[in-house]
Order: sequence, then C-alpha cells, then structure tokens
Amino acid sequence: MVRRVQARDELAFREIVERYQAKVFSIIYGILRNHNDAEDIAQQVFSKIYFSIRNFDFRSSLLTWIYKITVNECYDYLRKKRVRKLVYESDFSEEDATRMEASDPAIDPATPMDRKLAQQDLVAKLLEKVSAEDRSLILLKEVEGHSVEELAAMTGLNENTIKVKLFRTRQKLLKAAQRLGRGRSISK
Amino acid sequence: MHRVIRDHLEEVLAQAPLAGPAKQHLEDCKECRDEVMRMRNHAIALRSLRSAEEIEPRPGFYARVMERIEAEGPASIWTVFSESPFGRRIAVASMALALAIGVYMFTAEQPEPGVLSQPVEFVSGTIPGEDQPGVVLTNSGAPDRDAVLVNLVTYQGQ
Repeated sequence: MVRRVQARDELAFREIVERYQAKVFSIIYGILRNHNDAEDIAQQVFSKIYFSIRNFDFRSSLLTWIYKITVNECYDYLRKKRVRKLVYESDFSEEDATRMEASDPAIDPATPMDRKLAQQDLVAKLLEKVSAEDRSLILLKEVEGHSVEELAAMTGLNENTIKVKLFRTRQKLLKAAQRLGRGRSISK
Repeated sequence: MHRVIRDHLEEVLAQAPLAGPAKQHLEDCKECRDEVMRMRNHAIALRSLRSAEEIEPRPGFYARVMERIEAEGPASIWTVFSESPFGRRIAVASMALALAIGVYMFTAEQPEPGVLSQPVEFVSGTIPGEDQPGVVLTNSGAPDRDAVLVNLVTYQGQ
C-alpha cells in the first residue's frame, strides 16, 4: 500500500487516511485535549504524510512513522502557540513540579477531573523538553502500551538500544521537572 | 541509578516481580528506590495522555485533507527556512553576514583622508623658458594660485 501511495495512487492514500484517522485523532486529542485543534492538526498530519511518504524507507513500521509525524505536529503546534502566548510556561508552577515528583495519581481516588487535566497538561509540557525521537518512543511505550520487544520491531532498533533510550528519556524528564520547578522558585 | 536496576528498569516500572540481585538492591538502595518511584510517577502521568475512547473525525475528513493538500502543494525549499527554527537561524545569520560584507566593502572603497582631498585643476599657460603653451597640473590652494599668477605674468611679458 505504501508503495502505491509513493506512486501517487490516491485510492491507496485514501485507504491510509481511513485506516489511521481514528488513531491520529486519538493521539492528538490525548496530547492537546481539544477537538477543533485535533481536526486541524490531523489534516496537517495527513498532508505531511502525502508529501513526504516518498521518504519513508520501511526501516520502521508505517504506524510508528505516522505516530512520529503526529506527535511532532502536536508539539510544533504547542511551540507556535507558546510563541504567540510568550509566557506559555508561566502556568507551570512550583507546586505542579512538586506534585509531579511526589504524588501518585493512580492511587489517589479522590483526584478531581480538573486535577487530572492539569496533570495531562503538565506532562505534555514536560515532553517538550526532550527530543522528538525520545518523545515518540516514550509515548509509544507508556501511552500506546507497547513492550520493549514490540518497540524494537517497530523501530528497527535492538532491544538494548530501546532500553537505553527509554532510560535516558526518563532521566531527562525527571531533570526537566526538577529544573522547571527550581527555575520557578528562583524567579519568585 | 545503579546498573543492576537500570538493566531491569522497564520490568521494575511495569511492577513485574523482580528476583535475585535486582530485588535485593532495590530493597537496600534508597537512592535507586527514590529514583524508581519518581520515574514510576512520571510513567503513570504519561499514561494519562492516553485517549479514553477512539475518536473519529467528522464525516468528510478525507475530502478536507485532499482540499488542504491541493491548497498547500508540495513544500518548496524556502519552507525549510521559514518553518524550522534552525532554518530561520541560518537565514538570519546569512543576512547578518551579507550585511557585514556589504558594510565592509562600502567602507573599504572610501578614499583615505588627505589623499586627493583637493580637486586637481588643469591650468593652461606657458611654462617660463618654453615657447609652447603647456599645461600645469596643480592642486587648488594658495601656493598653486601663485604659480598661476607667475605663469600669467610671464605670458603677458612675452
């Protein structure tokens, strides 16, 4: 199917859109939590797929490739939005960082909905601090629930490389959370 | 974090049962235990990005995608400079370099002060001791004016 799209077969491209549209929407909505933005970004994702599928080299699975494009588009959107807003990080408070470090949302049954949304927002912001590749990998692991073996098969990397990359990304996220929290307290 | 835990980190975070040295180390090492706990909290927070339900787009999504593709057309080489931050930096750096070269070239072509600052005048006349009228090249200024007067007097006297 990919080869047909690479040859500009529009029927094959339509198949790709219909097969992956729900997945793409879910990924975008998971990160941005906004239906209107999700439509716009999903269109952009498929437009990008259409124009760059000739560069797809089959080293990773098509889903992994589409996943990366989708996550990158979300973070491009967040970056542009932040540039417009200028003070995007100002709502990441020291309390947010502390909560991220110390709390365990899974075992706190009294967590209200708005706190959950705040947590999602905060995680999305932390993920901005790591590279696009690391971000996709950690999201494929934690959000999509793929195992290390599956990630190795999907990306064409070996399992040890995946483990090392995941470990480094987790460390970067911890450091980013600490840094954001500390930076905030210094500026106070 | 110590290697023995790092090697089994994904199992630890998935709360899979550990055995042997890794389990023992995690019980003994507070530093590793704390870092694992913080990483586990991050992992749980990351899972909150999972969309609860599958989201389908509004009907006609494919048509809207095709409209967008037709409107956008293939990306030109210039979008590399306009869209990516790195490209924008390169563009700005190139412009600054071009400006610096332009300024340097402009200033380098200016004549040095003092050299040819006064216009050269061609004075027609006869040089004393010569029959044919000649041309004397002088810079304008008081000494040159004297030379012209001398030439004129000499000419009238002949």
